[in-house]
Amino acid sequence: MSFSATMRLDDDVATIRLTGDLDARSAPEFNELVNEATGLQVNRMVLIMDELAYMSSAGLRCLVFAHQKMPPGRDLVLVGARPEVVETIKLTGFDRSVLIEQSTEA
Amino acid sequence: MSATRVLIVAESGEVAPELHQALHPDEFSVRGVSAAQLSADLAPHQSPDMVLVSASLGLHELTHISRRFSENDSSPTIVVYPDGDFAALESCVRGGYDYVTPPFLPSLLRSRMTSCWERSRLTQTVQEMENLASLREYERELSIAHEIQSGFLPEELPTPAGWELATRFEPARQVAGDFYDVFELLNGRRLALLVADVCDKGVGAALFMALIRTLLRHTAEHTGNWNPVDSPPGSRPGGEPGAALPPMLSLGAGPLVQAVSSTNQYLARNHLRQGYFATLFFAVLDPGSGKLLYINGGHNPPVLARANGEHILLPPTGPAVGMLANSSYTLGHTSIGPGDTLFMYTDGVVEARGTDGRLFGSDRMLRVVTQPGHSAEKLLGLVDQAVAGHVAGAAQSDDITMMALRRSDD
Repeated sequence: MSFSATMRLDDDVATIRLTGDLDARSAPEFNELVNEATGLQVNRMVLIMDELAYMSSAGLRCLVFAHQKMPPGRDLVLVGARPEVVETIKLTGFDRSVLIEQSTEA
Repeated sequence: MSATRVLIVAESGEVAPELHQALHPDEFSVRGVSAAQLSADLAPHQSPDMVLVSASLGLHELTHISRRFSENDSSPTIVVYPDGDFAALESCVRGGYDYVTPPFLPSLLRSRMTSCWERSRLTQTVQEMENLASLREYERELSIAHEIQSGFLPEELPTPAGWELATRFEPARQVAGDFYDVFELLNGRRLALLVADVCDKGVGAALFMALIRTLLRHTAEHTGNWNPVDSPPGSRPGGEPGAALPPMLSLGAGPLVQAVSSTNQYLARNHLRQGYFATLFFAVLDPGSGKLLYINGGHNPPVLARANGEHILLPPTGPAVGMLANSSYTLGHTSIGPGDTLFMYTDGVVEARGTDGRLFGSDRMLRVVTQPGHSAEKLLGLVDQAVAGHVAGAAQSDDITMMALRRSDD
């Protein structure tokens, strides 16, 4: 499934909506947005993941990358991720570094 | 010899009479077309040998025409001629195009056309050779990387009496992020088994694979038996109620914990910003008793398939290695009985995709590996077959690594 990522900026919160498959092929596109957001010194990065169908280990690497680019103490929030995607995150232990929220905000 | 196909492109599509007359029909088959017609439909004119373009169309249009041909995998020799406008011709020639000028006398024109054609063939050949040479060099570099990486996998699998070991290693590309390792510890009293997956694939993952494999193996081989005083901070024993000796104090626990936690610390200290990490399953087997100590660092749970058809999974006992600065790893422990098989694998197995995009999945994998009675080698063959049947010719998207350890029936 093809991938797309769009970003919205509200004050110091970057919200990125992910759709499709996040894998080695689509990772660079997402990394670019992450770089853009962290370059703007956002306080909080929110990833809307309810339409993210699949995430490979290369995709997970993007999240780790995003987390490492955020200054310490700032939040990386994953919203509405599907159970399989949450499982990939939990399996590797990365769930300790991010906030996982169930429902999509209105 | 058949006539050279010449396409003449002018503003109006009408070929200048003196040019047409000079191209003798025995040698040249000539067609005229306007620039507008040509851009509307390239197809009918797709494969002329030479294209004569009026200079009055300008350098910009000329470049456009030339690009259109190459986009259609056609590479005619492109030559400019002046349509009365010599200043325009000059600008095209400065732009790197070959040209013919009046008077258009048959033998002079033929001679010029021939040399233009030869020159453009030569340029093309040189270009192709350059491309090929750089491609070859790139391929050679990759194949060297492939060779070197193969040297980071064990040449042979040390297999204790009463045990079977089998492995599969199928990178999606020339170089991989996956790896496995098997080596003896403590003078052969213990056997170390490792299956790991560095996130991402290709050259970047391969470099980290080399680093992580080296750190793990070197540390494990050079750590003596467990000494509680050297206990790395953050590691803690996973107690087993009623056991004679806590796993933390059993033989082989020291090398195992030390290898994983110090590799994690090293990566976190030196490479955290690069965002690479590895999930791994690292086990130490006591071949005499079948007892197995392990650390699962965020890796797909290996399957311990019992001789009676039941199975248990060995889930993570800590996070992926290199992901977090202060990860702690707990020791897991289990026991492999006669006829039991431990199946270790990377996510390339369960995430192999069919042409319809569906993943192979854990359920299918479990159905295959829990069939009792197969040898380790046979079992991996069956998984191979099942995965190949599922992907049905779709391109392999991720590295696939598997290892099966089977304890022979008594």
